[in-house]
Order: sequence, then structure tokens, then C-alpha cells
Amino acid sequence: MSQTLTIAKRELSALFFSPIAYLVLGIFTFIVSMLLLLTQFSPGFPAEIREELTWIVRLLMFVAPAISMRLLSEELKEGTIELLMTAPISDAQVVVGKWLGAICFFGVLMSPILVHVVVLEIKANPDYGPIFTGLLGLLLVGGLYMAIGTCISAMTDSQLISYLITALITGGLTIGMYILSVVQWVPNSIKNVLYYINVDQQFDGFSKGLIDVRNLLFFVSGIIFFLFLGVKMLESRRWR
Amino acid sequence: MIKANHLVKWYGPTLAVEDVSFEIPAGQIVGFLGPNGAGKSTTLRILTGYLPPTSGSASIDGHDVMRQSEQARATIGYLPEGTPLYGEMRVTEYLDYRGRLFGMDRTKRKQRMEIVIDRCGLAQVRSRMIGQLSRGNRQRVGLAQALLGEPPVLILDEPTAGLDPNQIGQVRQLIGELRGKHTILVSTHILPEVEKTADRVMIIAGGQLVAEGTPDELRQQVRSGSRVLVEAKASRDVVHEAIKQINTVRKVEIQLKNGWSHAIVTPKGNADVREEIGKALLSREVPIREMRYEAASLEAFFIQITDTRRSQSTTQESQRPKLPHDQTPQV
Repeated sequence: MSQTLTIAKRELSALFFSPIAYLVLGIFTFIVSMLLLLTQFSPGFPAEIREELTWIVRLLMFVAPAISMRLLSEELKEGTIELLMTAPISDAQVVVGKWLGAICFFGVLMSPILVHVVVLEIKANPDYGPIFTGLLGLLLVGGLYMAIGTCISAMTDSQLISYLITALITGGLTIGMYILSVVQWVPNSIKNVLYYINVDQQFDGFSKGLIDVRNLLFFVSGIIFFLFLGVKMLESRRWR
Repeated sequence: MIKANHLVKWYGPTLAVEDVSFEIPAGQIVGFLGPNGAGKSTTLRILTGYLPPTSGSASIDGHDVMRQSEQARATIGYLPEGTPLYGEMRVTEYLDYRGRLFGMDRTKRKQRMEIVIDRCGLAQVRSRMIGQLSRGNRQRVGLAQALLGEPPVLILDEPTAGLDPNQIGQVRQLIGELRGKHTILVSTHILPEVEKTADRVMIIAGGQLVAEGTPDELRQQVRSGSRVLVEAKASRDVVHEAIKQINTVRKVEIQLKNGWSHAIVTPKGNADVREEIGKALLSREVPIREMRYEAASLEAFFIQITDTRRSQSTTQESQRPKLPHDQTPQV
């Protein structure tokens, strides 16, 4: 466990060392603040961040891969993976450590939202229930996207390819599923399934203030699935 | 301590390591020699558990590198080829990180860190960022992290690559100082390095172990490649005829320079033919200006043995490599 945290800690500091981290942080903070101002921050509107969170989740499809793209790809490119994989730690510890590091960075990235909550508190009387569940949902979405990103970055030593494939999957899980669920020729039975694996839909409950076990299960199982796949990807590197 | 059992490694259609077996007892320093692309790094990567062998097995300190990989890895300090390090970390930060990965507690980490920093001469650059260090210092950081956990086994892949002669000397000295405390397997293609520090040398070429022994033993095998240089004042034919009639002479090459015949005499086997040459020439009243015995170096042996392998692999022959005078190496 402590080795996993060691890897997570190094990952977090490495993320902060790269200029791209600050770029993502800056742009994201700006966009998120704009979202709040443009969507709900007006007299007469409910004091909540639901609309803002929904848009953030949509944005994350393309922002999350930018954080996760370097996780293992850079190690593969620089060859530092060799020292990591010859240390007495398991592949699972490496993958989970990387993922945890990325989650921590994700937490920092989302911190402007907390400022928005404080602003709402000053100006109005927000309902903390949906805010709390919304943030929990956001964390789960981030966890899922980072798990996908960790898995994909174990496949390639190119950060660009890592970004593109991850974005394709995260985008596919929302936009792709949405498009398929409105297309005529897709049978209804499949549409129900597509509806279930749509991240936007899964998040909806959380943003309303609901913690549905089915939604929770979707994210947790998704995270476990992609982390498991990531470990297998890393293991398979040994066999190539 | 280190055991390799019929290791074979295919990279797709390319055979990188072909049936390599050896055993290294505890405390020995073994030089692993071979030209670039001979399979050195691949063999070391198999031993460190980074790559699985296609077939065969290996164990470190009794732990199988594939089945008990983590225990095996815990006993190894490894310096990979090219010393890949995190450029954005400071030297002390990095060593601390490696210590944590190896599960060392805080006091042990601090204590060992000071020792390896001192030992590897990193005191000056300890708080510098690794990315800003010179090649030599990076190499030292790589060595320091390998030594950090006091592992019983050290596997160093080209620890002196890219260093200047001074630094090479320092690394060699450091490895010498570690003698007895660790079992060391060090790969290189620089011979003097091995000749001076290693207890035993293994030569790999074309993915196969082609020779093995102490540096002295290997040099013995090379002596057969020695020759005698003679300068005598006579025509080529006279000198040639005089030397050629000696039984133990295998080959004579003569060049005429300013009226002096410069002869290069290759004896059969290990024979020292100087006395016979002297007698033969003097009996014909040929004046001798110089006669010199030239022992072949380990380097010549290395070049010869690895060259043979290379030409064999291109002609697809499956013969054992030939030593000078067609002696098969005592592997």
C-alpha cells in the first residue's frame, strides 16, 4: 500500500512539473467559472451548481485524457518503466498508484468549484445535498475517465495516441451513446443498454441529489474494469 | 546466487538469446562481454524480471524470476542500459522515492542515502535536478539507486557507457570496492574494464555464450594467437626458407624494407619459436636486428571470437566458433 502511495505522490508532483498541467488548470478554471456565470449565477435562479456540473462532466470527455495521457506513456517512452517494473512492486500497484496520482490532480483541477460554492453561500442559501452528491458524482466520473486513461496509456509510448484513444472512448461513452440511442434503426433492447452505459445519464441522478446504487455500481465497476485491463496491458508488455 | 538455465528469447522472428546457461556463485564479480546487439541487455532484462524468457528459467538467490518475481526483484539492484531516470526529480528526492519503492523505512532510507551519495560522489549535486545533471553524474545516480537497498545482487548494464576515461576509472574502482559484499554481474563492451575487476568473464555473441572463464584463463587461450616478429638482413627467400623448415612454425609472412626482411612468424599451438628461429638464421649467417615476441591480447581474442560468430550467423553455419589454431574454447 505504501508503495502505491509513493507512486501516486510522485505522479502528482510530476504532473505539477509539466507545463501542460498549468495550461489545463488555467483554461479549465476559466471555462468553469464562465459556465457558472453564464448558466445560473443570476438573481432569481436556484442557488445550485447542477447545470455547471453537467457541463463540466461533458467537458471532462476531452480534459481528462489530457491529464491521463502521460501516466504510463511517458514512462514507456523514457524507459523509466524498466526501473519501475524491476522494483519489488506488483503491476497492480503501479497502475493503481498512477491512477491515484491522476485522481489527486483531478481533485485540484476541480477545486474552483468549491470556490463557486462559497460564492453561492455568500450570495444566497444553497442546498448542500445536491451539491455534495454532485461532487461525489463528479469524482466518480473523473475516476472512471482516469481509469480509462491509465489503461490506454499503458498501451502506447506516444502521449498523443494515448490522448486520442482515451478521448475517443470517453467521448464515445457520452456522445456516441447518445447518438446511437436516437438513431432509428437501433433496436429498442439495445437502446436500453446504450442508455445505461451513457456517462451523462449515469451522472444525472447525482446532479439531482440522488445516490442511486445502480449509478454507483456503474462507475465503480467501470473503474475496476479499466484498472484491471490496465494491469493486464502492463503485464502484456512483458510478454512482447 | 544467479542462475540461468537454457534461456531463450525470441523477439518476434528475431532470436536474441539462444540457449544461455550459467551460474554465478555469491560474492563473485562477473563481466558480461559482447558486441552491441549480442543479447547482453536481453539476458540481463530476463534476470531482473523485466522480460520473460521465451523458454528456460532463471533464479536469483533461489527465487525464480518469473514465478517469485517480487522476491527475486527485491534482491537485485539494477542499473538499466542508458540509465533512465526521472529528470524532474532532485537527486535526494529520487533516491528517497526508490527507497520507498523498495519498502525501506525512514531511518534506513536516510542512512543509506547518505552512504550511497558519499560512495557515488554525488554530494556536490545532491539537490540538483536529475535532468540538469551531466551524463557522468546521471550514471552515478543510477548506480546510487542500485546500491541503495544494499541488495545482495547487483546487475549493471553498461555502467560506463558514455563516460570519460577518468569516470570509467572511478566506476571501476567503485565496483572493485563492492567486491565481497555483493554478487555483481556487469555488462560492457569495454575490455580493460573487465580485465581489471572481474573474477570471471562471460562472452556472449550472436545470442550465445561463446566463452567463459577467468580473465587469465581466457588470455591463456589467446596465447595461441601470439606471434614472433623478426628483422633479418637477407633476401625474402633465404629468410623464408630458414624459418619455414622449423617444425613448430605454422606460417611466415615476409616484407622487404630497405634490404631488411621483416618476418611475421605464427607458431603452431603455444610453441615459443624464438630460439629455433635464432638458430636457423644464424646457421645461415643471417644477421638479426630484432626479434620480438608479441602476445595476443584479450581484445584480439574477443574480436576474433565475436567476429567468427557474426560471420557464422550470416552464413547460417551452426559450428562452434573457432579460436586461433582451431582450438575450441573450453566453455
